[in-house]
Amino acid sequence: MAVIETTALDDDVDVTTTRTLLHEAIPLTGTIVSGTYGTHPNEENIKNYNHGMFQSIYDYPYLSSSANHIFDISACYSARSVLSSAASTQNAKKINMYTEFAQTLMGFASGSPENPAADVRCFESDLVLDNVSRMNEVFIINFSRLLTKDQIKKGSFSITLGTGAYGSPFTPGETASHGVVLSDNQSTADGKGTTSVLGGDMGLLFADSADGVGHPVTRASGAIFYQAGIAVISSSVFMQSNGTVTGSRNFHYSPEVGRWQTAVQALTGASISGACDSFRHRIQNISFNNTTEINSKIYFCRVPHNTYNYSSNPTYLSASKIRVKNAATDAPVSYITTIGLYNESMDLLATAKLSEPLRKDPTNDITIRVRLDY
Amino acid sequence: MSFKKFGENDVFRNTMKAYPRSEFFVYDAKIYYNGIPDQSGSRNDQTRNIPPGFISLYEYNIDRPLTNTGKFIGDADQGVKDTGIIYPWISKDSARSSFKTVALTTYTNEFFYGDVLSSSYPLSASITREYIPTPSSSAGTYNSHYISLRNRLNFYSILSQHYKVSSSYGNKDEQILNLISIPSIFYGTQIRPGSISLKWYYTGSLTAELQDPRQNGELIQVGPPGSPGSGSVAGVALYDEGFVLLTGSWELDPNELRLVAGASNVKPKWIYYGAGAQDGVNQSTAGSTYISASFSLGFQGTTETQVMTMMAHARRGEINYSNNPTYLEYDQTRTYYTSSQVFEEPSNLKIKNIISSSFHDFTPSFKRRVYISKVGVYDKHKNLIGIATLPSPILKEEDQDYSFKLKIDI
Repeated sequence: MAVIETTALDDDVDVTTTRTLLHEAIPLTGTIVSGTYGTHPNEENIKNYNHGMFQSIYDYPYLSSSANHIFDISACYSARSVLSSAASTQNAKKINMYTEFAQTLMGFASGSPENPAADVRCFESDLVLDNVSRMNEVFIINFSRLLTKDQIKKGSFSITLGTGAYGSPFTPGETASHGVVLSDNQSTADGKGTTSVLGGDMGLLFADSADGVGHPVTRASGAIFYQAGIAVISSSVFMQSNGTVTGSRNFHYSPEVGRWQTAVQALTGASISGACDSFRHRIQNISFNNTTEINSKIYFCRVPHNTYNYSSNPTYLSASKIRVKNAATDAPVSYITTIGLYNESMDLLATAKLSEPLRKDPTNDITIRVRLDY
Repeated sequence: MSFKKFGENDVFRNTMKAYPRSEFFVYDAKIYYNGIPDQSGSRNDQTRNIPPGFISLYEYNIDRPLTNTGKFIGDADQGVKDTGIIYPWISKDSARSSFKTVALTTYTNEFFYGDVLSSSYPLSASITREYIPTPSSSAGTYNSHYISLRNRLNFYSILSQHYKVSSSYGNKDEQILNLISIPSIFYGTQIRPGSISLKWYYTGSLTAELQDPRQNGELIQVGPPGSPGSGSVAGVALYDEGFVLLTGSWELDPNELRLVAGASNVKPKWIYYGAGAQDGVNQSTAGSTYISASFSLGFQGTTETQVMTMMAHARRGEINYSNNPTYLEYDQTRTYYTSSQVFEEPSNLKIKNIISSSFHDFTPSFKRRVYISKVGVYDKHKNLIGIATLPSPILKEEDQDYSFKLKIDI
């Protein structure tokens, strides 16, 4: 590169930083989750593991190289839950999954070294971390980093669940319309409606007012962890507000006992993958916006009128005369094509290219804005 | 958990140079990349939402159709529509960031602060072939892509006179040119000199092949043995810029076929190489005999990846304690005394003896041992900045030395 001179940048005047939030709209229709790539519950885009502690959902049959992992689901409960019993299927694993997520996301209540597991905070349906409004039985959706990027945008998460009978979970029946939309519409980007926990910022998922099953809009039916990209859905969303079972009494069919089970019964009587299958079947839609922070440093490269009017490009001279000058009185002219950024030791660190050369002569001065994203 | 400082010779950086191979095949106006077939999805015509031969940045929107759901994601007032597919958006703010697809005047005049500017996925790329019958004429007509390469062609004339725009080999301004553009995402920093191979097939049989055996950018016809024009230079490759410029106009085969849109029969020549690669040539525009031609383009790219290697040593007599709660025997009082000013632990806590014995009902004598499962890397402020996890925990006894080699691409 033809360099004729360099100018030191003044950090106070010539350098500044900005931050841009790039978002992506992420819609996940329920047809990806259930039914498109095979017959439920044995779709080709659903991966179950020998350990049986969660199942993975891909956006295409997972044996294809085109497939992307989009999220994992698990069904679990706390050791404090009334469902916890040695008679429950995969009791220890369900408790372990709950404790693992709760410990990572909610942290510890007191941090006692004597028995740390007993002091893991439970998921709560309010923002006061007092272990009072506990969500002891939950479904957990752990979104892939591919989708959530730096974090889920606050106030943009929404999940639509069918709460009706298994065969028609979203259609009206029995008492009311069987569909509930849970969203974090009380959370805002400035942090309102959220609280800070070990796993980052936590918001709450409330049922919308159109919900006819009786879920109060003032009581959260789930939580969302924005930085971790994890949604926690309380199993109570499949119950009426008074605790009785609605259409969701047909939440899950248990081949072991040969009959239909409610969500609560599925949590005790079914394996984690079986409960997840039935939960998946009821996901109609998930959508959120993600956020990627792009930090930028902007260098204002100022070119005064009386400098940078010469080039050391070999073609600038012809027979020791400046090619662009016809007479000695002509003003020199140069064309700026590239900006080089050097460190204190004059090592070239980066170059910025202009889309087209800029004409520079003593009659003009130029400020070139060089932006470095990282 | 023990902290150990990396020594002078424990951290080093080097550059890993790799040469990823790319192979394109053009047939019936379709491009195939590295043998990936045309895939149709269950919900979308194209599984990856892109034609074959293209690569998709991020590989989002697999098998997703564009749908008008009428819904919004997040607050409806913000205006982020749910279109059924993933797309990026940005709010107009003081940082003045935007997408390339939004022109500056449009950005300034048509959007208020807070408005949503959106783009779309997938962002895709593939090779493009351009048939240039009139590169630059005295009448003022010219091909802008060729014109923009003229300086680089003259620049590389130091390697070969075949690069030069005007030389004893001809004047490129007046020759029929065939320009193949290769996006840099396929090759990285440079196409590896000498790795390029262009093959011309007629009815499935190899008619001619170009290579650069001298590694100077000259594309020489190397085969098949005895083929017309064998040994001649048919064009040049611009390795840094990702272009192949073909000028070879000798007949490779006596049979005629349709290779130019809207024109009559021609005989296979290098200037028709790659017909159908995003240039509008297909059976409809050229003629049914076009399908007799097929082409392959192979090359190696060059990628340079900086790799940091860190040697973490667990010396004999060190790293022999664990803070894991189960490291100590259960049911001991671990807090001796606490107050607002004092926190004291008992000094006689017992470590759990995990030595196993082959004998029944026998406890072997105690030996201090730990299992190393992770190595954490901290900065000078003791912020954890990276974790290297071992595939399975490694048993370390007091008299053992271990060195862990941690590598990270940066």
